[in-house]
Amino acid sequence: MAKNSRLSLASASDENYTFCWRVFCAWDYLIGNPEAAESKGAACVAQSTTSGAVLISLRILANILVLLSLAGSIYIIYFVVDRSQRLEQEKPELTLWEKNEVSVVVSLITMIAPSAFELVSQLEMYHPRTSLRFQLARVLVLYLGNLYSLIIALLDKVNSMSSAIPVSSGNWSDSTTFLATIALPEEDGLSTVAPDAAERQNGTFLLGQEANRTRGATPVFLNQTALYGYNMRTPQDPCWETYVGQEMLKLSIIDMIFTVLSILLIDFIRGLLVRYLSDCWCWDLESKFPEYGEFKIAENVLHLIYNQGMIWMGAFFSPCLPAFNVLKLIGLMYLRSWAVLTCNVPHQQVFRASRSNNFYLAMLLFMLFLCMLPTIFAIVKYRPSQHCGPFSMLIYYLQAIARSLKVTNNQLRMQLQTGRYCGVTAALLCPPTARLQDTEGGDKKPDPEGHVTGVESCVRSGSPRRNSSVSGFESPERQGGGGAGGGVRTITQSAARPGPNRAQPGPTGPNRAFGASRSPSTPSVTQEHREEHTPNRHPGHPGGASGSCRSKSHHRVAYSPSCRHADSVHSDPLFRKSFRPAPREASGLAAAPCRFHTTRYVILNERDAPKQLLRSNARTPRRYHADELVDIVELCPRSVRRFPSPGPAPGPGPAPPPPRQRYQPHLDEEEEEEEEDEEERRRRRWRDAFASAQSHRPRSLSDLHQPPRPLHRADSGPPNPRGPPHWSRDEGPRHQAAPSLTESDSDSVASSSDQQHSSTDQYIQVIHYKDKGPRARGKPAKPEPKAGARLNVSEPNELFCSNV
Amino acid sequence: MGNKQTIFTDEQLDAYQDCTFFTRKEILRLHGRYHELAPHLVPMDYTNDPDVKLPLALIVNMPELKENPFRSRIVESFSEDGEGNLSFNDFVDMFSVLSETAPRELKAIYAFKIYDFNTDNFLCKEDLEKTLNKLTREELTPEEVVLVCEKSIEEADLDGDSKLSFADFENMITRAPDFISTFHIRI
Repeated sequence: MAKNSRLSLASASDENYTFCWRVFCAWDYLIGNPEAAESKGAACVAQSTTSGAVLISLRILANILVLLSLAGSIYIIYFVVDRSQRLEQEKPELTLWEKNEVSVVVSLITMIAPSAFELVSQLEMYHPRTSLRFQLARVLVLYLGNLYSLIIALLDKVNSMSSAIPVSSGNWSDSTTFLATIALPEEDGLSTVAPDAAERQNGTFLLGQEANRTRGATPVFLNQTALYGYNMRTPQDPCWETYVGQEMLKLSIIDMIFTVLSILLIDFIRGLLVRYLSDCWCWDLESKFPEYGEFKIAENVLHLIYNQGMIWMGAFFSPCLPAFNVLKLIGLMYLRSWAVLTCNVPHQQVFRASRSNNFYLAMLLFMLFLCMLPTIFAIVKYRPSQHCGPFSMLIYYLQAIARSLKVTNNQLRMQLQTGRYCGVTAALLCPPTARLQDTEGGDKKPDPEGHVTGVESCVRSGSPRRNSSVSGFESPERQGGGGAGGGVRTITQSAARPGPNRAQPGPTGPNRAFGASRSPSTPSVTQEHREEHTPNRHPGHPGGASGSCRSKSHHRVAYSPSCRHADSVHSDPLFRKSFRPAPREASGLAAAPCRFHTTRYVILNERDAPKQLLRSNARTPRRYHADELVDIVELCPRSVRRFPSPGPAPGPGPAPPPPRQRYQPHLDEEEEEEEEDEEERRRRRWRDAFASAQSHRPRSLSDLHQPPRPLHRADSGPPNPRGPPHWSRDEGPRHQAAPSLTESDSDSVASSSDQQHSSTDQYIQVIHYKDKGPRARGKPAKPEPKAGARLNVSEPNELFCSNV
Repeated sequence: MGNKQTIFTDEQLDAYQDCTFFTRKEILRLHGRYHELAPHLVPMDYTNDPDVKLPLALIVNMPELKENPFRSRIVESFSEDGEGNLSFNDFVDMFSVLSETAPRELKAIYAFKIYDFNTDNFLCKEDLEKTLNKLTREELTPEEVVLVCEKSIEEADLDGDSKLSFADFENMITRAPDFISTFHIRI
């Protein structure tokens, strides 16, 4: 544009030499016959005689005519859009004409109006260049008016559609609402329409209610009105954007058709007629009326600008429109270039139209701004349709995503809080089993039975594996808290005495389960016993639990192949029994994610156990996790390196046995009491160790310490499922534990909703409690010596699973 | 007979071709037209360059000029003596300038000459009035004529002497979109 301005400025401005030219250029020297001379003379006279007043009045008249035609075209377009709307409502089937009426009318106006304007401009007697400028301006106003009236009429329809949308229920198609709104929608009516929305697609006259017949028809019509399939049949609802986009596309297509027809008819056919009929016609066709068509540069450029305006208006609603338009313009270009070369003659008046480049570019810019306004208005004012388009559910999706992320975040946080004891490794190692167990045992209520079951299952699962020293020691809490003690008992008992079945100390099944889950390396007797017990114990539990135990033990086996069965399991289960039930039932571990069945077995091998324990401890900050760990630690003192004073450590021999002894099923009260004392001491030691290791443990350790006492007492009872009584007893003495456990329980329950593994992780400590086993001597806990002394476990290794 | 013609020598034809916008054929045809205007006066052999001039009355009756209101002025403009007696050279010259291929500047020169009725090299008001009267065949009222002429001078007069010099005229006429198309005679 700048270059054009420069060029136009360089040349002198176009002054208006109207009168001069009228004087000097009016006569056509080519005129050879008198009639022409006379007419020309008359024309000159007419031109010269028109005084200013007449001229002005003529021009005003011409302008009025033009304005009238513009207003008429706008009204016609609005009327036609309205009529098409009414037709859609009234008639079930639309003819081709009715479907495309709007576009045809707009295109017709586009073709005819410029010629009319040219005729009118002859009244004005402007200089040709001036009259050309006027002509261009009028044609441009006409095009803009057409586009605006079309888009405003369409958006009016959309508005009526949108206004009805909120009234209706959420899951309507916009078309139904749209249609309904036209007929003064009523809420009930709309609601009745909704069920039929699905049928709309078929195009059947549905919306089956009689009352909504008219309304119902509209969606059908809407579907049918889309002549060109772009974005047409959205299944449930023709969105209003779709409708507008369809209309714009129809307009573009029909404009193309009309342009092609006009080129062919007005230029080509006319050229043929003039060329071949002039010989046999009354007058010379070539010089008189029809003549050859002129290639009007200005008007063709204007048509391109109009085309562009159409695209800009429709692009938002119909994204493929620009692509289609590119093809259309390419085709039209070739057609027109051919037509110009074959059918057209150059314009007689050389206006140096190229110098009007700036004018055309300015017009284009103006058109761009004006065409963007309705689109922006539509974006701002009208809601996107709910069932289609990229913006329909945008907010909803964002909200849904934010909500889900928040929920996930909370869950993860809770899981972290509750599942810290459930070490990651444990979780990783026993994910499937955890789930299995979860499914099986998932009630969170304190259920000693459940716990027992879990333990039992663990034990059972452990049993099949001979070499593994892993025994499933699920957290009784997971099960509902009941089984902890029982489980402990079971294991302890089973571990402690190869002969005596685990059930002895542990009336609860878990003991037996533990026994069963003792590693195969443990004295087969004990194992057998355990196994025997386990099946008796809780026949119900089994499957999943054992499976899980098994799997866990598998893991454990792999993990610590060198693990031997910890004989100290005896003590552990006992210990566990004592405290476990309480924590278990109280804590939500069992309840929540730490289901009994989701226990994981963490093999705390001699070497690895401490690490594992540490790790697991690290991960499970919960108190009650710590309790379990403490149990584990106490039970498998060797595995816990952190016990600074390896009282039992130096003496692996004596160490293991004492715990074992301690964990032996206390058949007699005395033993139990002794064991309890020892356990207390041990626990204290463990507790200290733990405390040193982790600050958050102490409480749990103390808690852990407490429970065993009652458990032991309980253990002395007959090996019957004494879950409930155990628990009750356990809970009593365990003051410390209870609250903490409860807290932990609640927390775990709360947070471990998603956690499936954390709380149910079981640390399977490979406690080599062989009496002679040097291994067992490794890292005994302080209590070990005592326990070891007590424990006359013949089993070299005892494994116990502790729920973490 | 072939191509051999005896009206003009080759040099003459070449000269005509150089000086005009006509081809050899057109020049020969012009000669034929010139001859038929006054067959007894115009020799067929122009090789010795005879000095034959046809009067104004004969030329303005040519069908191409008959309806033109400015025919007299046209012929007078191209005649050497200013009376409208055209030799063949003037004849050819005239139609050459009025032909389609003549450039705009050349036409403007002669248009100025044609409209300058008093041949003072200025288009004064009287010239314009006469032009307008001839154009409208005296059907305009004097007031209108005066008005138009005044307006024209107003428009085109650049140096403010209330008459149009050749520069003013040329400036105005070259901007006329239809000057070339109107200032055209086909023969």
